[in-house]
Amino acid sequence: MKRGKGMKFVGDSRVPINNRKPNIPKDYSEYPGKTEAFYPDFLLKEWMVGAVFLIGFLCLVVVEPPPLERIADPTDTSYIPMPDWYFLFLYQLLKYSFASGPYNILGAFIIPGLAFTALLLAPFLDRGPKRRPLDRPFATGFMLLAICAIFYLTWEAAGHHDWEAAKKQGMIREVVEVDKEDPAYKILEANTCLSCHGGNLEGGSGPPLAGTKLSVDEIKDIAKNGKGSMPPGIFQGTDEELQQIAEFIKSIEK
Amino acid sequence: MSEQRVTRRQFLSYTIMGVGGFMAVASVMPMLRMAVDPVLQVEAGGDFIATTVKVDELTNEPTRVDFQFEQEDGWYTSNVTQTAWVYKDDKGEIIALSPVCKHLGCTVNWNSNKDHPNQFFCPCHKGLYEKDGTNVPGTPPRGPLDRYKYKVKDGVLYLSRRASAVRGA
Amino acid sequence: MLNKVYDWIDERLDITPLWRDVADHEVPEHVNPAHHFSAFVYCFGGLTFFVVVIQVLSGMFLSMYYVPDIERAWESVYYLQNQVAFGQIVRGMHHWGASIVIVMMFLHTLRVFFQGAYKKPRELNWIVGVLIFFVMLALGLTGYLLPWDMKALNATKVTLDIAQSTPLIGDMLKTLLSGDEHIVGAETLTRFFAIHVFFLPAALLGLIGLHFLMIRKQGISGPL
Repeated sequence: MKRGKGMKFVGDSRVPINNRKPNIPKDYSEYPGKTEAFYPDFLLKEWMVGAVFLIGFLCLVVVEPPPLERIADPTDTSYIPMPDWYFLFLYQLLKYSFASGPYNILGAFIIPGLAFTALLLAPFLDRGPKRRPLDRPFATGFMLLAICAIFYLTWEAAGHHDWEAAKKQGMIREVVEVDKEDPAYKILEANTCLSCHGGNLEGGSGPPLAGTKLSVDEIKDIAKNGKGSMPPGIFQGTDEELQQIAEFIKSIEK
Repeated sequence: MSEQRVTRRQFLSYTIMGVGGFMAVASVMPMLRMAVDPVLQVEAGGDFIATTVKVDELTNEPTRVDFQFEQEDGWYTSNVTQTAWVYKDDKGEIIALSPVCKHLGCTVNWNSNKDHPNQFFCPCHKGLYEKDGTNVPGTPPRGPLDRYKYKVKDGVLYLSRRASAVRGA
Repeated sequence: MLNKVYDWIDERLDITPLWRDVADHEVPEHVNPAHHFSAFVYCFGGLTFFVVVIQVLSGMFLSMYYVPDIERAWESVYYLQNQVAFGQIVRGMHHWGASIVIVMMFLHTLRVFFQGAYKKPRELNWIVGVLIFFVMLALGLTGYLLPWDMKALNATKVTLDIAQSTPLIGDMLKTLLSGDEHIVGAETLTRFFAIHVFFLPAALLGLIGLHFLMIRKQGISGPL
């Protein structure tokens, strides 16, 4: 009664050897061809693939530093959120009118729920003995459809997202406290300038005004006539006030 | 074939160890380097902190001096108060002793115990030190009290952030 | 010396069969990339596991420098990324690894699906695999909040809104996840942290253990 390197037992109460699963390697003789032992032959090949993969992975890590945006600010409501890329297809699905509003349940639960349940139960939905993709057209077809849908939705979400603006809105900014008691600051507040340009003029959905290189006249012009996505006519005050805020903005150093 | 020094199996084993070793080192090395970073940091605390004590006011008698500085602890910055027992010795040299007992880190006090006048006394385990910080043999401490480095500028006493051990005392 | 230590243990515990079973099992030709290059599709599962190992290790090391608190979380991440040697690399491994693991798992799932490898007798292993997929997605979701930057907070708000729109139990579910009925803040962060660092990894390890056990028991599915 010797197994392995041979063991002797005192007061033997263990399960007799016959009842234990014999330690015979799995037999692959039904698949004729070259089989090889897991260790060391096959493991070496696996690890070589692993090593090459690791080199590629580390190159990616070194080249692309992980992003970190500015610290979360619950009061900043102008931020447009974006999930991680592998949730984009779900995020995009919820944008469609048939999957949002009154049909939110459809987009948020029924469609993804059905898809994931089908994935989970695939072996019970596709029960035939055939394994080749072409021999089971329904399984293959639905999966291809799902993959196309995921790729399409992800593409739509990523393609219509303004990545430049997203990068800007999340950037870590140097915030310099401005004098909030200044009368010009009150005028800015009253004309809703701060909701886009930030409470310290550090920028938000609009560009930062602190440390701007524009001249006083240019600032006055933009405040009245707008620029880019800023519509004209936002500033409603008098010319005197306009001069006041332009000088105030100009006076703020970065 | 049986006389070859390295068998095929051995060769494969060595290669596996090599490849596995590479994977382990390449993936874990950055993590270990990050973990040991604090050990490899060079202490930057070379600067001296101004106290409120004028050097002229110091006497032969140890007085308690508190001084504050801003301490950076990773991502956390705080104000820390350090304490020193400062006096001038017979030669006029300034001595600034740390109040941290060299036994288990309690705080010692000067002249606080009636049985041991003119000695530093630690209430935790009755540790005793002479005035110059030397531990009294037969009491728990394992060495003399640490000393702060000092500097005098415009008559004001400056002390180092941390006290350092007295060597060979 | 090592041999003697091994013999001493083996004499008492009979450990030889344990590793011999793993080491000696024959691997069939059709999964071996050295014989057919197309067999590289069989590597995706192993690579997924490899990245999971990297994720677990880098996560353990990152937690040396991280605090799950809304006032300090961002500061600590900023510190470890910019002040600690190799902090940026280790955080990069964890950040990009999270994406790579999803990609690899996706490819592995497709390989198994299109080969019909989930058919009898391997139905249970497929189910465990899909559960692993869900756990991974949940890990990505909870981990997204931890740096406590703008995108973390706002993406989590969206996630919680979706949870809230669940019929019947929505409000309760949201409160359960965020720790407060209205605020996404301190209690949300600690909850997500606990889920990301303890609950989900524990589930993941159990499921992966089952996954491997079943593969050993059933062997790899034959060629098409």
